[in-house]
Amino acid sequence: MAAPARVRTLPAAVAAIALAAAALWVPATPPEQPASQPPAAAAERAEDDLPSLGLPWGKVRAWERVNDGWTLTWQPAHGMWLVRAWVPDGPGEVLWRIEAASWLPGVRLSRRAASALAGRDDGVAQGREYLGRRDWLLTDARVLGALPAGGDLPANPRRGYPAAAALLAGLLLAGAAARHLVPGVPSRVWRQAVGWSALALMPLLPQLSALAQPAFQAGVRPWVGELAFGAAATLLLGALAFAAQRFPAVAGRPVAGWLAVGLAAGVVAGRLRPATWLLGVAGLPLRLPELAALAVLLGWLMGLAGDGLRELARPAGRARAAVLALLGVAAVAFAGPWLGVALAVVAAAAVERGSGTGMAVAGVWGWVFGSVWTLAEWEPALRDALVLLLIGVGTVAAIGLARRTTGISSPTAENG
Amino acid sequence: MIRFGYVLRVVAAAAAAAGAVALVRGRGVPGEAQAAAVARAAMERLGYAPLGEPTATFEGDQELAWALERARPGPAGAQLARREGGAVRWRLVFPGGGEAQVTVDGVVWSLRRPVPEAPGPDLFPSLATARVEAAVAQAVPDPSSWRLVRAQSWREGGHTWERAWFVGASGPLPPGWRRELELEMAGSSVVSWRRFVHPLGTDLGVVTGRMAELRLLRRPALLGLAIVVIGVLIAGAEAVAYRESTALARGLVYGVVVAVAGSFAADTLAAAPVQGVVLAAVVALLPGWTDLPPTRLSFGPAAGVALAVATLAGGTVILGAGGWVPVTSPVPSDTGWERQLADAWLPALVEEPLLRGALPAFAAPLLGWWGAALLAAPIGALLHPEPSVPLLASIGLGVVLQLGLAVVARFAGVGGAVLARGTCEALVQRAAFPAGPGWNRVALLGVAVGTVLLLWPRRRA
Repeated sequence: MAAPARVRTLPAAVAAIALAAAALWVPATPPEQPASQPPAAAAERAEDDLPSLGLPWGKVRAWERVNDGWTLTWQPAHGMWLVRAWVPDGPGEVLWRIEAASWLPGVRLSRRAASALAGRDDGVAQGREYLGRRDWLLTDARVLGALPAGGDLPANPRRGYPAAAALLAGLLLAGAAARHLVPGVPSRVWRQAVGWSALALMPLLPQLSALAQPAFQAGVRPWVGELAFGAAATLLLGALAFAAQRFPAVAGRPVAGWLAVGLAAGVVAGRLRPATWLLGVAGLPLRLPELAALAVLLGWLMGLAGDGLRELARPAGRARAAVLALLGVAAVAFAGPWLGVALAVVAAAAVERGSGTGMAVAGVWGWVFGSVWTLAEWEPALRDALVLLLIGVGTVAAIGLARRTTGISSPTAENG
Repeated sequence: MIRFGYVLRVVAAAAAAAGAVALVRGRGVPGEAQAAAVARAAMERLGYAPLGEPTATFEGDQELAWALERARPGPAGAQLARREGGAVRWRLVFPGGGEAQVTVDGVVWSLRRPVPEAPGPDLFPSLATARVEAAVAQAVPDPSSWRLVRAQSWREGGHTWERAWFVGASGPLPPGWRRELELEMAGSSVVSWRRFVHPLGTDLGVVTGRMAELRLLRRPALLGLAIVVIGVLIAGAEAVAYRESTALARGLVYGVVVAVAGSFAADTLAAAPVQGVVLAAVVALLPGWTDLPPTRLSFGPAAGVALAVATLAGGTVILGAGGWVPVTSPVPSDTGWERQLADAWLPALVEEPLLRGALPAFAAPLLGWWGAALLAAPIGALLHPEPSVPLLASIGLGVVLQLGLAVVARFAGVGGAVLARGTCEALVQRAAFPAGPGWNRVALLGVAVGTVLLLWPRRRA
């Protein structure tokens, strides 16, 4: 049984090396500009450059990559107001905005805030008190003390891919139904991998709340926002772990060469259309375990969707390969930032059932690395991304070596 | 043994009925008839006799009422909200002209009478301010605490109109609060006034801040329900594929009832038809979930009465322990028996089959039935909490109610939990609707059903 595997591994390894070379040497021009600084550095710059505005900012609670800069959120523990700032990577102007709870008449613009808002730091400023409002008469301007104050921050243009999300949801449902209605030998490895990944993310949720900008609102204390995010994330992780038990991936021995191809294809996808949201994760202190756990969970989900796609494409018979190839081409052309996950789904559907989840995880793993590699330009993130890639390559190599040592065994052997 | 069992049922029915009647007696928003009389008398003092019986509508300012309670904890705050705070009031519209707002404890909050044909001579400009200041005595009982801050006059319809704004000291309101009054005169007759209350920011902020926080915390609970609904979809596909036994007709009827109730209720988790379809699927799938305890409807309403007592007592305990929970019930945006019925029973019809049926059916193989029930408790508790200080107090109270419902579901099944929750909600929400026997009857509907079920003689085997 080992010989055919070796025959298939050779061209697969060649393809993987070719793809890796393409990822290295082909000049990728992603639509988003790479980030030259982590969010922490952007926060430091905002705190240095902007006036204090006469009110405590509190801690940096969240960040988000928007255009070619970081949008950061500060909020004090009482939650009555929050300060948002957009810090460009380059030497551009830092934009800021204060939002306060609508019920809070105590929040009034300080003289410094009014001066900063009017764009002048000197001159005489005279305050006029009104019910729930303080106006400032400056030398040649009048600032009405209503909040929110400050400029408009750049909005995130990437939001909203309802068709892609609906398609993916449909494939996930189809995959769940397929795994339940066409049962196979469940893989203990994937059950444990998903369970442990979900468990590993649990203690990291307080850190991950930095990615949940909408959870921080004026008038809502930040611990409540973090609690809401934590509760939602816990439910999702629990549901994933439960789904891994209830709709388990089928056991199989994936070919290491194909896994290498998947990994390399994921890297290329990340180079071509990186996922910007992964930059937020790359800005966290414990980014390596977070990226790894996210790659496993996302990859397992794409394996589930791939199973759904495989069953939906089954009526095509011999044309199935052509259909999947066409879908792959369509993904490259139209998937945009969903390219990595779309290719992972197609790849999982293209291989045999027992290898689908492994293929999808390899693809997503490579995509995560490729995205961070393309978009993050600060050293710790690149170093951790490289470690992530090495872990992936090492795992594939270990699978390949194990195959050569033990030969192909039956799926039940893994389960036993 | 059978006779002892029946005696037990009779005792349970009697206790539940007595408890429920005690809970609804004296509750509800009072003062509808008194408000009409007060408004009529106030208009007559202005020289206008309104014709006919007024149409009364209950309305209120939820945040203001709770902010007053927060500023003056306990019954004093609730009384203030119904009196000088003007947070809970009746709007009365007379068919022949004239409109007034009267607080439920009888303070005229605003009034507008038709412009008289002969409103008296126009006020001479130099005397207008003094006359307007003197007219404030017709609107408030403590005119000396009010001072004129701004006035304007204009000519319209052959008369000179005067409008004045007064600011009053906090008076009976908590320190830092402010009262305002706007008064209008045509010629030398007062034709309208309206009072306003400006709360202290921190008092209002505690309430509205908590409400905003609970709205945010509701999102993960909705996510939890959405995950359960996804499970229902997959289970439905599985039931079709394996041709499992389903209760399609029962599910269809249940779905229609949920959709109709949802169209009347003030607060729904999703659009009424969507809820109807999901619940129809859940109820249709129930026979296939054999791990669930069998339904025993008869004890559900009695358990609901016990849960209502525990819920109301929980609020008292929190207040007694130095915390804060609202005493004034949430003000319904519209009153009517169908709204009262829908508001009380819709959460039971929608949430119980999901939290006590579908969720345990999915999670019990991994977590066990009680593990699944514990998982459902925080989800249910975050769906409808009221603001409190500390915030976790009301969530904790909700968790206690949910655990009680889990116990009911363990022994009386999903159907028993639906009846218990509906009965409990109807009794707890009774205070939000006007006082009167008709409203009491709607609140006691679940208990009546429970009494019949308990007393109905069972067939001998």
